[in-house]
Amino acid sequence: MKYFARIFALSLVVTGAIASTHIANASQQTVVSGKVSALPVPVCPPDDPTGCGIGSTNGSSSN
Amino acid sequence: MHSNTGAIVDLLSWLEPLCCVVVLAFMLRRGQMRQYAPLSMFLATRLVSFAICWTVNGMAGWHISKTRAYHIYFYTYWASYAIEAVLGFFIIYSIYNLAMAPLKGLQRLGILMFRWAGGIAVAIAVTMAFGPHLTSTKFIMKAVTQLQQTQSVITLCMLLFVCLAIRPMGLTYRSKIFGICLGLGVLATSDLVGAAWLSNFKSMYSIYAIFNGSAIVVALSIWSGYFAIPEPKRRMIILPTTSPFLRWNQISLALGDEPGFVALGEVSPDMFAPAEVEVMRRASMKMRLPIAN
Repeated sequence: MKYFARIFALSLVVTGAIASTHIANASQQTVVSGKVSALPVPVCPPDDPTGCGIGSTNGSSSN
Repeated sequence: MHSNTGAIVDLLSWLEPLCCVVVLAFMLRRGQMRQYAPLSMFLATRLVSFAICWTVNGMAGWHISKTRAYHIYFYTYWASYAIEAVLGFFIIYSIYNLAMAPLKGLQRLGILMFRWAGGIAVAIAVTMAFGPHLTSTKFIMKAVTQLQQTQSVITLCMLLFVCLAIRPMGLTYRSKIFGICLGLGVLATSDLVGAAWLSNFKSMYSIYAIFNGSAIVVALSIWSGYFAIPEPKRRMIILPTTSPFLRWNQISLALGDEPGFVALGEVSPDMFAPAEVEVMRRASMKMRLPIAN
């Protein structure tokens, strides 16, 4: 338990550190990403005439 | 393949609120809603935002127009994301407070530093969101994302700190403090990994959605587990006298003391009360007497 928890926590920290340096190096602008959730990320402007495709996706029938 | 992905994402999107309810139920059962108030507010915000977004998504094109539905969805999503990012800071703050409770001096010093770091993080997030040809929508999205990324970095620092200093704080790997940090660490890592590599997937039912959905379910499961099992009692902290924790704690405690005052330059006798002048006169007379007396 002790070693598993420690290794898991340290691997999270190392992965996060590598990812954060990658964000800083790879993008000149701020990366826009959604929250950690399975909910779809609304990336279109709020006045999008098509409603950004809302309501037309139910997993099996989308795209 | 695509329908499988969609089914997994749908399953994960249902598991998320379910897990939120389970964690809140365990917290309520253990009577720890107040102790971990920011975490319970974070979970409640997630539940409410999920309920609104899911309802609006389902009603779009049926009971309300798609444009109106998307308008509600957009602002609910990004407002709740911003609230969750801010609550994330408060969770780390409260966890730090609880973890460092036995070492009051370091706790006070850390809180001071944390407030500065939090203030600077918010200022940087807002500043970095500015750019040429910027609409208010883009500004909201960039500012919230940047705030969340900063919070993720601070969360991982906190996780590393708790992991390394778990013994001097009298905690074990079964303590709720560690469990909450671990769950937050999963969220923080997936947020950073998502921003670095996976945000190129623009489809709602991509590997990114599965990754995101799995991360939140894993984090909520960790919290459920830690709140379900009884927490071991905090150990008595025995530190060697040479411990840097002890030394820094003593220094930090002394830093907050009320200062004494020293009079510099000439002091006129009018500034003292007659009794004080008399005491000083007699003391100086005594000093002039031979040592034999």
